[in-house]
Amino acid sequence: MILYYLPLILIFLAAIISYKFNKTGYILTAIASIIFSVFTFKIYDYITYFYLIAAIVWVITSLFSITYSKNYGKWLSPLFILTVAGMMLILYSANFLVFISGWEIMSIPAYLTVAINKKNDIEAYVFMFFSEISTVLIITAGVLSFYYTGTLNFVKINNDIVLLIFAIGAMSKMGLTPFMISEWLPIAHGSAPANSSAIFSATMTLMGVYGITKLALLSPESLYVGILFIVIGIISVLFGALYAYISENMKSLGGFSTIENNGTILSVTGLFVAVNNSILRTFILITIVIYAMAHSIAKTGLFITVGHTGSEYFSEVNNIKDNENSLGKFFILSSLSGLLPSLGGLATWMVIEAFFMTAFLHGPLGVTAIIAGSLIAMGEGFATAAMLKIFYFTNRGNKKHIKYESHIILLNGVILVLLFIISPLIIGRYYISGIPSVLIFNGFMIESKFSNADFGLISPVYIFILILIFTVIAYMIFRKPKIRVSERWNGGIENNEYYNSFVYSNNIRLILKKILRTKYENNELIQTVDLFWLVMIDLAGAYRKISKYIAYKFMNSSISMYLIYMIFAFVLIIIITSVVY
Amino acid sequence: MKYYKFGNKNGRYIGSNNKYDVYENTIASKIPENNAIIEKKPYEIYFNYGPSAGGLRESVNFSIVTPGETIRDITVNSHYKRRKIKIINDDINNALLKIERINGFHTASNTVCFLLAIEDALDIDNTGSNDKRIIEIELERIRSNIDVIKGLCESAGFSVPEKQLLYLREKITRIISDTFNHRYFFSANQINNVCGNFNKIRLNGIYDEFYEIYNSLLESKIFMDRIQENGIVNDINSSGPAARASGYKYDARIDSESLTYDNYNIYTMEEGDTFSRFMVRSNEVLASINIINKLLREIGNGKNNTEIKNNSGEGTARIESPQGDIFYYVNIEDNKIKDLSMVSPSYLNIELFKKAVKNNNILTDFFFVWESFGIWVSELEVDFI
Amino acid sequence: MMWFFKGIKKRIKTENLNDKYKIEYPSALEGKSDYNCPTDAIEDQKWIKEKCIFCERCDLKPTHNQDLYNINRNIPAIFKKSFYLYPIDSGTCGACNTEFDTIFSPQYDTNRFKIFLSNTPRHADALVIMGVYTEGMEKIIENAYDAMPEPKLLIGLGACSISGGIIGKKIGKKFDIEILGCPPSPYTVINAILKARGDVK
Ligand code: SF4
Ligand code: SF4
Repeated sequence: MILYYLPLILIFLAAIISYKFNKTGYILTAIASIIFSVFTFKIYDYITYFYLIAAIVWVITSLFSITYSKNYGKWLSPLFILTVAGMMLILYSANFLVFISGWEIMSIPAYLTVAINKKNDIEAYVFMFFSEISTVLIITAGVLSFYYTGTLNFVKINNDIVLLIFAIGAMSKMGLTPFMISEWLPIAHGSAPANSSAIFSATMTLMGVYGITKLALLSPESLYVGILFIVIGIISVLFGALYAYISENMKSLGGFSTIENNGTILSVTGLFVAVNNSILRTFILITIVIYAMAHSIAKTGLFITVGHTGSEYFSEVNNIKDNENSLGKFFILSSLSGLLPSLGGLATWMVIEAFFMTAFLHGPLGVTAIIAGSLIAMGEGFATAAMLKIFYFTNRGNKKHIKYESHIILLNGVILVLLFIISPLIIGRYYISGIPSVLIFNGFMIESKFSNADFGLISPVYIFILILIFTVIAYMIFRKPKIRVSERWNGGIENNEYYNSFVYSNNIRLILKKILRTKYENNELIQTVDLFWLVMIDLAGAYRKISKYIAYKFMNSSISMYLIYMIFAFVLIIIITSVVY
Repeated sequence: MKYYKFGNKNGRYIGSNNKYDVYENTIASKIPENNAIIEKKPYEIYFNYGPSAGGLRESVNFSIVTPGETIRDITVNSHYKRRKIKIINDDINNALLKIERINGFHTASNTVCFLLAIEDALDIDNTGSNDKRIIEIELERIRSNIDVIKGLCESAGFSVPEKQLLYLREKITRIISDTFNHRYFFSANQINNVCGNFNKIRLNGIYDEFYEIYNSLLESKIFMDRIQENGIVNDINSSGPAARASGYKYDARIDSESLTYDNYNIYTMEEGDTFSRFMVRSNEVLASINIINKLLREIGNGKNNTEIKNNSGEGTARIESPQGDIFYYVNIEDNKIKDLSMVSPSYLNIELFKKAVKNNNILTDFFFVWESFGIWVSELEVDFI
Repeated sequence: MMWFFKGIKKRIKTENLNDKYKIEYPSALEGKSDYNCPTDAIEDQKWIKEKCIFCERCDLKPTHNQDLYNINRNIPAIFKKSFYLYPIDSGTCGACNTEFDTIFSPQYDTNRFKIFLSNTPRHADALVIMGVYTEGMEKIIENAYDAMPEPKLLIGLGACSISGGIIGKKIGKKFDIEILGCPPSPYTVINAILKARGDVK
């Protein structure tokens, strides 16, 4: 029993140690994460896949942080590890109480990280504001669940209202519509150091997905809640992808991409809630976890790639190229673009397959599914453009080149490819088959098996091997490419102007003028920020005023110290209550 | 100087050269232009095109300031192929050879205008060659306008009409060659005389062929979409087809006395976009053919009397070249050129082009706008020394 | 699609090189003259074709022979497969540019001889220089020549580039092919290239 909770103990220990020895702290976190996944992961028990996903992300980010966090002062590592600890608590939770405590332990250090990193603390308050909305809603869901079932434990409920309220709470944290219209998540996530941005984007939002999935498994099917999720998801996908494409801050780009991916996950979850066929349902569940896996791991990769450049904006990056980094980046970004041979490719295929198979159910759900599937495919297209932007314009870094970080980026990329290849092993046997007559042997092919007319089939191993073979053949034939470098021709004159990332994505700004509200004013290109966002800034401002007032009234110290005190008090109370409970 | 005097601004603006600002009736001393360098914003880039690149017929450089796709501003650097032509102190006949080569594609307009200025200076009665010169210039106008429309088709990637117009252009060039013994009117003009075999001019076939292409282009939705509402400009200081495309009834065929046309009707459009310029040019092709056909019935083939009385004087002339007003000022002493000054239509057209292209256009509109003005750098960048 | 049929309907015929249409100027001149030529193209009564701008003033007689070119070098056989030209304007009056343009008109259709235009000197086999020497273009011509892959040719088109004509200074480069005339007629241009490649005897 105590062994089962060992990782939790280790990680809180790590948080404390890391204040003095941050390297040790990070290594301990990585070890705790590995043990955690070993203890909890069970094959074919899909909800436990979330543990594996989280653990992989934590290991990668902790390893990356060892060199990365050097520039960020001593507070970064304890706060980072505390956030991870909070998430671990969430994953351990069997009842609402522990879940909520984990939720808060995860969130509060996150605000602090943002507050400490940014001179202007408005971002931290915006972050806090949205997170607290989510906490309030989740507590409400807990209370309602208690009302219906008589216990705070996660048990079967036969009412969909708990799921709905909980999901809205989680969505607020995930930055989805309607909480996304303003860009709070990308701005907040973009304001933290890259390693923290990575866990905010990759795992903090994963916790939301985890919670929703967990409750969806306990709740009854509901067509309306399902369709609502799908619609919210799709809007998020389209807007997230568009904004990602035009974003000039690299970390904000990652943030928007997270919204897009979470949108996809939410709409697939909606499908799960709405569908009542058990074969299809399981397939959809697998889709959710595989997609979450692809998103979280690749998103981590994206943030560490960006962190590796040492800058925030595309315009600040300049010329150093490193093959290892490029290769890792290539796999990571192709995964985020939904391309093969990476896990993201498989995940996207499964999403589209799930939606199009649902069309066989006919009725309103069938129609919604077809439209949703096509829109998601479109969103993926935009995402590819956004990812290409990252690929081209981060090929350079102005920080002193750290080889170690490139190794981690490559590792991250390779993990995505490996997971793609072994995916048939972790997907339930029922969905694995083969067509021996065309030399695809049993056990190598994934299909949805819902109707005898499959929409599509995929065989990761074969794809990988084919790509490999063709690469080798091409190499054998052409050998190392003979490159002849010659001067570029630019009308015959010198011009040291480079195509930049803003110019790259300006086409969309202009095409979607109406939606993005781009216009020229006095020769200046203006992109009107959302009205909603302006209101939010006001709200956050008011919130900050009140907090400051309270802080000055009751504690004669800095606001940061006050918050730090808050966490420790909170952690203590929570741990005591949960143990007692 | 029958038609002009030195003085202040009077009437519409014709253009400038490095010495004078020229107006409808006066030559004023030049007010220096201020060519401020365009600063780019941090997110913008200077997109460089030219001076030597595929798609450019002459050497000219554009530096486009763009935040991506849209053109916010543009600088045109035309100085690359600036030629210094030694012409001061040449005798008139020798100077003529050089004037012919200022803009080879518009030799007729340049030479005729130069000769008209000389005839003004030396007080020569030139009414006898008036009609022949009109025929010559209108022929050149037909070819020039067809060339501009060909350029528009080329920009749109419309190979079939482009080649058909190129075919027509060559056909007209051959008519010119048969009539004037040179494909570009070189050596065809003399004082008060045009050497040409005018009964070789047959334009009815050209009229039908051009009319058919013109109508097909009007029917083509894709082509219309590409040229409508792009490169809009409406400026009181404009000339030629560009002025007439935005509703100004500016035409030296009406408001200059150097060459006398009788009752010419000006065709105008209001919008001032590339489409309007296309319309004006197309209709002027048809109108020019009618003018020529009418004049051909009237002229004889006899030689004019070229007796020269004076050998010194100052003279000016302004006529409507295919691209707009062209102006020459000469000062002759002892049959030698003492001073020479010209204003080419490309001067105003380039200013208009700059305004048009940054008026809410994207990079792909660039070629359409550029082609629609029919600018020639050769006539713009000459220094007479 | 509509244009495709329009194109076919029109049936413009490309002309055979042998039944070329006749022009007097520019064509080879013959005879003797004492005329004081404005470009000094007559020395000792003899005609120097490189300098002539065909001003029609002397009493040399035009022969209608448009083969006005010099080929100063053996042209590599590889250009028979395809030949890409990159025109560059140093300081023309515009007529040379237009005539060069004209060789791609349906009457001449130079593409049939596997002669094409290139959009950048980096893909070009020959640089076609037109016009007189100008300060502004000197460096650019140099750059263009450097940017071209080997083997490469230099073609001078028009009296201006070869002798300076009547306008100014010549381009100070040794041309592999010189195409004469002011401006050279399209047939002269085509013939010069075909002859240089050994396509016609
Ligand atoms: S035609 Fe003109 S340039 Fe040629 S030789 Fe005779 S006078 Fe000289
Ligand atoms: S050679 Fe003659 S036609 Fe060619 S650019 Fe020179 S002057 Fe013009």
